[in-house]
Amino acid sequence: MAASCFFYMFFKPVYILILAFTIVIDFCAGILIERTNDATKKKAWLITSLVANIGILAIFKYFNFVNSNITGFVTLFNLKNNIPYLNMVLPIGLSFHTFQAMSYTIEVYRGNHKAEKRFGIYALYVMFYPQLVAGPIERPQNILYQFHTRKYFNYDNAVTGIKLVAWGLFKKIVIADRLALYVNEVYGNVGNASSLTMFLAMVFFSLQIYTDFSGYSDIARGTAKVMGYDLLINFNEPFKSTSIAEFWRRWHISLSSWLNDYLYKPLSISYRNLGKIGISLALLITFFISGLWHGAGWTYIAYGVLNGIAIIYELYTKKIRKKIFSKLPVVINTYLSRLIVWLYLILCWVFFRSENLHKAKTVFAKLFEFRFSLNFVQLFASQGPLKFASIIFTLILFYLMSIVSKKLPDRYNTLYIFFLVFIIVIFGENVTSQFIYFQF
Amino acid sequence: MSHRNSSISNFKRFCLKFLCPFLLLMIFFGCAFQYIFEHTIILKTNIGGVYKVNRIINEFHPQEIAMFGSSRMIQTIIPDMLGPNHFNYGLNGISDNVVLFFLNEEVKKKKTTPIIINLDIEGLNSGLGSIMYYLYNINYKPVQDLVDKEDKPYYHISFVKYYGYFELYLKDYLSSKIELTKYSNKGASIEKNVLLPADFAEVVKRRENSATNFNVDPKLLGNLLGLITKHIDRKFIFVIAPCHPSCFKNFKNENTQLKYIEMLRSYKNVRVLNYSKAAYPDSLFFDTKHLNYNGAVKFSKALRDTLAKI
Repeated sequence: MAASCFFYMFFKPVYILILAFTIVIDFCAGILIERTNDATKKKAWLITSLVANIGILAIFKYFNFVNSNITGFVTLFNLKNNIPYLNMVLPIGLSFHTFQAMSYTIEVYRGNHKAEKRFGIYALYVMFYPQLVAGPIERPQNILYQFHTRKYFNYDNAVTGIKLVAWGLFKKIVIADRLALYVNEVYGNVGNASSLTMFLAMVFFSLQIYTDFSGYSDIARGTAKVMGYDLLINFNEPFKSTSIAEFWRRWHISLSSWLNDYLYKPLSISYRNLGKIGISLALLITFFISGLWHGAGWTYIAYGVLNGIAIIYELYTKKIRKKIFSKLPVVINTYLSRLIVWLYLILCWVFFRSENLHKAKTVFAKLFEFRFSLNFVQLFASQGPLKFASIIFTLILFYLMSIVSKKLPDRYNTLYIFFLVFIIVIFGENVTSQFIYFQF
Repeated sequence: MSHRNSSISNFKRFCLKFLCPFLLLMIFFGCAFQYIFEHTIILKTNIGGVYKVNRIINEFHPQEIAMFGSSRMIQTIIPDMLGPNHFNYGLNGISDNVVLFFLNEEVKKKKTTPIIINLDIEGLNSGLGSIMYYLYNINYKPVQDLVDKEDKPYYHISFVKYYGYFELYLKDYLSSKIELTKYSNKGASIEKNVLLPADFAEVVKRRENSATNFNVDPKLLGNLLGLITKHIDRKFIFVIAPCHPSCFKNFKNENTQLKYIEMLRSYKNVRVLNYSKAAYPDSLFFDTKHLNYNGAVKFSKALRDTLAKI
């Protein structure tokens, strides 16, 4: 708990008060929800908790976004928006711990979990430092009970944890940061890029975001594991997905399952009378919120909505696609589906990576110029042939290591960790770069 | 109690089965890799910072005429064109505090050869360049004093100290061996590429819009003059390499620079060769402050002729 407080306060000490405020509210709301038998009162306490959490999220994350949109809207009518902008830094991991806190009160309200009686344990549930900044978004069922048992040093936990941390660091420092140099260069100078370079940057970004975010999740899970705690698995080989729906069951699992349980399911139940249209509506709203969760910007909303549209498309064309694809051999069918899903996601991530919609438009315009010139300065994005070769080499290494890590017996753990650390020292990028999801 | 005992035995097992073998492997393979890498790559790259820093500290070449300076030295003067004993110690990104370090090491040697020093049009300033130049000799006191605040504890741990730089060392090595885009010669590394006229015009425009200021750090000046007066037996030849005319378009205090040059010239063992306004066509520049290969050839010839007269 002390380590978590220190970790949080390291960034901006005063923000601990905001976190403390929501922790107190949610802790009390949980107990009060459990104590009362009156459904209206239960609901009132739940709403109090949700309003406190969403309110803080709205003020810190969305106020300026809404305000800028109001300004844009009223300007159309030659009016002036006098609402001032807030000059505040976003507290670290706000979106993550807010969702985690909300899942607690909702679960207590639904009767799926008992209210936590010990304040320190509940505070630790929200603030547990390995996953405080970028998840995984934990559920009370998975983690709260673990805080009640005293932990002792365990060899297996320590080695498994260190293995996960080393693997996460490898993904982040060797792969993601290396890819970032290329991607940032191309996205920073779209005008100088050819269609081929742009496409490569988009492919590299898809790998960067995966290795960056899943790398952090591995580090978080590994750190917790060393201490004896098991956090949720957040990624399950997402690029093996044969549909966008499957992708969201494999990518950022803790968020998608949160949205599924607390948003999509209730919405689809409410719209069940509308049949497929109801499901589509529920999907669209869920993915709109998912986009908005990622960031206060139209690019993130576009990213979310595009994913939602793809799942709706899959829903409506399921039978036809099955009929067409069933004629193909299974191997081709699987790999073709994976490729299509990946290509679609690559296009969606253009919105995620672009600072605004105009930038995304510029990127697409460049891509669809279809100018595939083999100018080496363009192709290497001014990083030189060695850097480009090192990207390719480390990606191959990453692929091989992924295979090895699954098949390697535990007795080789020391060797495996040594090899990872050795590679990190040799190939690690010595740059100061945050994890992408820290901004959320 | 049993939990506690189990915890202790688990920790012992962790130390014996994981930590010790891991550390041993890291030490053995780390040191082996470092040794091989240093002796096959880093110290074999004579255009690299490590090689130059190590050469000035640990090697003695009685006939060598050392040339010190920033990127305007490494990218501008071809040693072989000046004579068989010249060596270019120029380093990208460094400033005069590093040049002074090189000078101090050079004057420690019992030699009487002249020393050629690049004089930047911005004056006498501080700048370390990349820390990677100094890592091999990081425990040498003058290097430690030079690196000062940039020093980090892990720079003193074998193998780990090169974290993040292995690729850059390899890049320098390959660049000097393959000479794909740069010509290498006794420490010099000169751009073969020529910018397209439109790109060069853009560079010129940027230069014209940015001010050039001549500043002299009094502490560095004191050290430099102290060195010059103390080593009267050594000839200090300051060279100002050609600059594109755009560098002078927005030169705030050119008079101060000229006074500074005159002040240096007042010392008996100092020569200042000012080529900054030599009329070189655009085609000989890589950018506004650096010549390309053809420019370097022309300038080196001119410098050779002048040096012959001194």
